[in-house]
Amino acid sequence: MPTLKLFCCLLFVVSIATAAPTFAQHEKHVAAKEITSPSLPEGMSLDDVLDRAAQPKPDEFPDAIHDDPLRMFTLFEQLEYRVQDDGPDHLGWEAQGWIGFDFDKFWWKSEGEAGFEGTDEGESEHDFLYSRLISPFWSVQVGVRYANEWESTDYEDTWYGVIALQGLAPGMFEVDSSLYVSEYGDVSAEFELEYDLRLTQRLVLQPRAELAVYVQDIEDDNIGAGLSDVKLDLRLRYEIKRGLAPYIGVRYKLLVGETANLSQTAGEDTEQLFFLTGIRFAF
Amino acid sequence: MEPLAPLRFVQDGKPHDRGCGYDVQFRIGHRQRAATTKGTVMKHHRNTTAIHPSPMSRRRFLGSAAALAGYGMLLPSAAAFAAIPHAGNFGELDASSPGGIDLVLEKRALKIGGKVGSAIAINGSIPGPVIRMREGKDVLIRVHNRLHESTSIHWHGILLPFTMDGVPGISFSGIAPGETFTYRYRLKQNGTYWYHSHSGMQEQLGHYGMLIVEPAEPDPVAYDVEFPIVLSDWTFENPRTVMRKLKTIEGYYNFQRPTLANLDDQAAATNQSVGGVLEKRWAWQKMRMDPTDIADVTGATYTYLMNGQAAHENPTLIARRGQRVRLRLLNASAMTFYDFRIPGLPMTVVQADGQNVKPVETDELRIAVAETYDVIVTLPDDRAYTLFAETMDRSGYARGTLTPRQGMSAAIPECRHRPMLTMADMGMTHGAMKMDGEHEMNHDLPDVPAHHPALLPTQNLPDRVMHGPDEHGPASITMAMSAYRQLDDPGVGLGHDDRRVLTYGQLRCLHTPDDRRPPTRQFDLHLTGNMHKYIWGFDGKKWSQSDMIRFVYGERLRINMINDTMMNHPIHLHGMWMDLYAGHDYADNPRKHTVNVQPAELLTVDITADAPGQWAFHCHLLYHMEAGMFRTVAVVRSLEEGPINADA
Repeated sequence: MPTLKLFCCLLFVVSIATAAPTFAQHEKHVAAKEITSPSLPEGMSLDDVLDRAAQPKPDEFPDAIHDDPLRMFTLFEQLEYRVQDDGPDHLGWEAQGWIGFDFDKFWWKSEGEAGFEGTDEGESEHDFLYSRLISPFWSVQVGVRYANEWESTDYEDTWYGVIALQGLAPGMFEVDSSLYVSEYGDVSAEFELEYDLRLTQRLVLQPRAELAVYVQDIEDDNIGAGLSDVKLDLRLRYEIKRGLAPYIGVRYKLLVGETANLSQTAGEDTEQLFFLTGIRFAF
Repeated sequence: MEPLAPLRFVQDGKPHDRGCGYDVQFRIGHRQRAATTKGTVMKHHRNTTAIHPSPMSRRRFLGSAAALAGYGMLLPSAAAFAAIPHAGNFGELDASSPGGIDLVLEKRALKIGGKVGSAIAINGSIPGPVIRMREGKDVLIRVHNRLHESTSIHWHGILLPFTMDGVPGISFSGIAPGETFTYRYRLKQNGTYWYHSHSGMQEQLGHYGMLIVEPAEPDPVAYDVEFPIVLSDWTFENPRTVMRKLKTIEGYYNFQRPTLANLDDQAAATNQSVGGVLEKRWAWQKMRMDPTDIADVTGATYTYLMNGQAAHENPTLIARRGQRVRLRLLNASAMTFYDFRIPGLPMTVVQADGQNVKPVETDELRIAVAETYDVIVTLPDDRAYTLFAETMDRSGYARGTLTPRQGMSAAIPECRHRPMLTMADMGMTHGAMKMDGEHEMNHDLPDVPAHHPALLPTQNLPDRVMHGPDEHGPASITMAMSAYRQLDDPGVGLGHDDRRVLTYGQLRCLHTPDDRRPPTRQFDLHLTGNMHKYIWGFDGKKWSQSDMIRFVYGERLRINMINDTMMNHPIHLHGMWMDLYAGHDYADNPRKHTVNVQPAELLTVDITADAPGQWAFHCHLLYHMEAGMFRTVAVVRSLEEGPINADA
């Protein structure tokens, strides 16, 4: 350290010695004096340029870069045919997308399935959300859900208020958790968790779990409070391109807790196994 | 700006209508240079215009048009395909010549690596012509925009009036379609530089070329023959599509990721057990980072070019045994860092970013995007040597041959194993945790106003700085808990074999430039990014969210750049030099227009704010720049006038 100090002193002395005349004169212009021939545009004096430099860009100038254009993205995580041993086959989808900017987006999510054999039945859920990036990996989303269910001539639909937290958790787990309040005041939550295990550069095994939790019983729907149903999926996809990947997979769907009891009493299956074939794509 | 006039070219004093195709008259590189030939060279280049209508190519074009009509415009005929010229057929122009030069920008089909792509050609070629200028002389360059979009030319590394700098939105409003813009300025420097578009993403489409400023005084670099080596990257995708992919799907172009299949390979390559590798991988996953994220855009879409030609096209430079060959290396890539070497031939680095440096002999050098290096090599025998430019992520290479005779070539080395980031790239090196006060950067140093200058130290600057509590918000994933000097580190994937590799610490300027006052003011600038969302910026802010960075006219200013991200960023300041703190005598610090800042690096530059006006300051990775890693610098009278919104 003494050497450093010595050097600094030395340097200071040398600098003062060389710069002394300018320091001594007009303190404000001390540094500027050193510049002998600045590059000036034709017809502009130094003062003109310095005046100009202190102004924002002229109106007729475009933006230097466009770092926040409106962008759009759509991802069909699942678009698949679901086959089960005993029961009708289904066409199912899960998709999401957004339109917006880096920090603020309109975000939509849609999932559902429709029966393929026998009666015309199905269900779907659509979330419409405002999404705000609140940290590098997490977005908070607020909006509404519209859900419907149909079976031959019956049709039921419900609106919900939604608040969600979506992002990437440590370990590279994609997480989407949403809290719903239905128009009837029922409160429920959904958690989705998925992980991409890369087998090769293009072959990806994706385990996925989806849990639904209800705060109260909903008797009409045979739902009991607590954890109600679990979906465990495993998909093996081949990325022809990053945004285009056919896959095969399985889904194990399980009703649990009070919901399972209620369904059993009503004579419904509490476990279902599906074989899946589909395509994952983004644009 | 001049009014739009019909474009006519003059050759031999007679105006010609521009042909549908044109050829550039001579290829560069074979120009023998000797002390006495300067006058001849000048005469040789005293052509009034760059572009020579070529009746031959015009006939060919008409012929192919007829052929097309014959096929009912259904398919491009073989003849039409054959008529499409190859990229890399660029010539040379002298912008200091009386009457100046013309540059014509147009969208044009060119064969790039054998496939037809739609490029932005300058006078018919990519790269554009090599432009020569002379120190102390004026240049006159008329740029004719025949594109359907606005364009510009920025003279990279050249000191000039800010209105001539060619950055739309900062220097001027751009060159509208159909318009001609005249650049006129006087050269205050010499060396190897380059020029390129600063509009949209046009650089990616071939809008670049080399600029050589001949010294007014005798050149301290002795050589017999010289060649430009323009390295670049080309994609057949629309650059906006590339950007969209980067913005929406993380790691879109990375096909060298950790997988189950390459677990063994990694274990073998890094001398670890499979369990050890898994543990490491989990550590990275916990941080939500990919250690193979070396390059955002890779050989999955890029064709790597040397002088506009792909590796298999083998651009060939001819030199005799014993000649001192000056290679002017330029990395004109949008995104690609190259590791350049000539197996079997040592190189002597004599210039960096156009500035002469004390000669350094080396075997390999990493050239960051937008940098230039001049090296001298001598063929020791009558063999051919491979010019090998491997990309930093090892996903491909550009290649050429230096040979005494046409038709000879040498073996092409295999690409090395792709490197992976380590904990050191997060600032976790040995000893990082034991911070002692004397090495800690003094963050209490205020922005000292210019009227009360306190001189900052010029040597023995702190080795390391701990990251403060400010994580810079959602636009920044701060990985480096501390940043440290890496002047002697050649960079990720280098320095682990027997080769000598150039480092910034080896660069010393040949002659000390005029102004080496110690700085009187300094600030820290964090290089930040969110690779997950592909948002890039400084101090957690994109350009559109920022105020201008203000330099006080005449001051000596220090910027301590701190790279919080896990990627390299070549940072370019327009209009002024950056004196790179290279760890030795202050007088020896090299001047650069572009400094590469490695992951977790603390890099210091001192600047003489001698260029009044407004300037661009940005990461030269095109997609980082376009994603916000950009600032407007205002060189103003004083700081008292208050902040200026960049985006107002």
